[in-house]
Amino acid sequence: MAGLTTDATALAEMILAQGPSNYAPWLDRGPHLDLVERRALPELRAEAWRHTNVSRWYQAVMEGPERDNGVHRIEYAPGIEVVDFADPRAAEIQQLRGEETYRLSAQPIAALNSLLLGAGVAIRIPGGYAARSPVRIVDLPAAYQRILVIIEPDARVELIEEPSTYTHRLVEVVVRPGGQVRHRRQQAASSHRECSLLAVRVEAGAHYELSQLSLGSELRRNDIIVTLAGNAANATLRAAWRLDESRHLDNQVAVHHRAPGGTSRQTYRGFAADRSRAVLNGRIEIAPGAQHSDATLNTKNLLASDTAEVYAKPELEIYANDVKCGHGATVGAIDADAVHYFRTRGIDEQTARALFVRGFLTEAIDDLDAAQDLGVIQ
Amino acid sequence: MSLLRVEDLHVAVDGKPILAGIDLAVDAGEVHAVMGPNGSGKSTFANVLAGRPGYDVIRGSMTVDGDDVTKLSPEERSLRGLFLAFQYPIEIPGVSNMEFLKAAVDAHALGRGEEPPSAVDFVKRARVAAARLQLNPDFLKRGVNDGFSGGEKKRNEILQMLVLEPRLAVLDETDSGLDIDALQVVAEGINAFRAQDNAVVLVTHYQRLLNYVVPDRVHVLADGRIVHSGDRGLALELEERGYGWLDN
Repeated sequence: MAGLTTDATALAEMILAQGPSNYAPWLDRGPHLDLVERRALPELRAEAWRHTNVSRWYQAVMEGPERDNGVHRIEYAPGIEVVDFADPRAAEIQQLRGEETYRLSAQPIAALNSLLLGAGVAIRIPGGYAARSPVRIVDLPAAYQRILVIIEPDARVELIEEPSTYTHRLVEVVVRPGGQVRHRRQQAASSHRECSLLAVRVEAGAHYELSQLSLGSELRRNDIIVTLAGNAANATLRAAWRLDESRHLDNQVAVHHRAPGGTSRQTYRGFAADRSRAVLNGRIEIAPGAQHSDATLNTKNLLASDTAEVYAKPELEIYANDVKCGHGATVGAIDADAVHYFRTRGIDEQTARALFVRGFLTEAIDDLDAAQDLGVIQ
Repeated sequence: MSLLRVEDLHVAVDGKPILAGIDLAVDAGEVHAVMGPNGSGKSTFANVLAGRPGYDVIRGSMTVDGDDVTKLSPEERSLRGLFLAFQYPIEIPGVSNMEFLKAAVDAHALGRGEEPPSAVDFVKRARVAAARLQLNPDFLKRGVNDGFSGGEKKRNEILQMLVLEPRLAVLDETDSGLDIDALQVVAEGINAFRAQDNAVVLVTHYQRLLNYVVPDRVHVLADGRIVHSGDRGLALELEERGYGWLDN
């Protein structure tokens, strides 16, 4: 590539020239800076970015923040510790995290989150705590945001990410043994280019449940990595999306079974209309020694126009011999026979189609009211 | 005036003629059986009454209570009181039976210019119908026909008929695939529905349902035409002699 200035190198030069963010100076930005210095940001044709033009996101980064800074808006019950990343106490909470929740080499653009970070919040749910009301993350005041959540042993919490605007958001969730988390993410339609990384570690006997609802945006990419790190850890992931116009949504999900007896359930339902593009890459990795793992992935997609695109790909990598693993992926149109069936009962065609799509998406939705408010179902 | 009047009905599917001039009049209070060998056009007849897309009426007409419904959409026909029990009911995962029925009942109420029934009244109505068909109330919470057995699907069609109270119910081989117990339950549902102000057209290959739901008239369809009409005795004779008997 000598002599060619790509967007990745132009961006790297810009970042090196301006230097890393001085927000939360306790963060170890060494590896991130090193990655940028080595020009290791993904290039346009990188395999992991097959369906999303990473250069278009780099351009958004170079154009600068698309939002003003404001204030943290987080709601939580007493007894939960919530600390701004600017506070040195956040460093202590990060210490509780233990090993990394993701590998930087596999998630290189996360380096930009560190180097450009403008707002972060560390949340600690104390051991045994059973939250009566959810922790609601309404908004964080910067384009590059970080949310770190430590759920201590046997604590229970519901975590809600409300619709927000950012260029990159990194969410790390560590569920210590016996902890239980219900994590709901809501992603509204937007004209922004947004990437996020959600990295979760689930320890022994802990339970993590994700429910993600998305409308597309001009460019939206969600990388999700869930590691079942302790014996009999459990993860349930559900995501539903509805895309129209020329909106784009790329979900890259990986579930790593690293310990014996883990269970993971993944259910995805998507609806793509007009010229939209939906991607679901779902990967299940079962490490040597993760015997008696039980993993399923099911993704179904509805295409409502000839010009919409869906890419649905399950991937399995299994290195243990005594496991249960299943996957299925379908892409199809709205069932004309079903629509006719509705109509013979007096229900008009438009309502019939809407009810059909609603029913289809409902299989991956656990909160119909939230899905309705956001517009994922109508 | 007949409740249903079909005149000189010619129908083609994918350009292929299937029905070649059907004439039929069904009065209020009557049950008519339409029988015939496989491929005679029975299901095409049932489907074209309900307005299935792709079933093209080439000639002739269908009227309900004197109104021509030949060009109406399936939902308009339903709102005018026409109901088709499907031979192969469609599975709709994610939409509960309750939701589906409520949407249908609401559409019918709005079609009559009435307020939709309250949720409480509706649920009561649905539960009564479910009980009559010996269906567990949990049945209403399940996805429409999703994972239902063959018998449950057929009972679900009759359940919808009881809740929607149509003027004319067309039952397309509702008896096929039913064991004898389920057949009796379905027949009881149909008999409970029978009234002086409605009518039933039973489309069937076999006469065994007619042991339980006694028809006023029996018609035999062959090659897209009604070739024989009679009373109940015709069905019994067909059972004894087979459809081949009509060729002679």
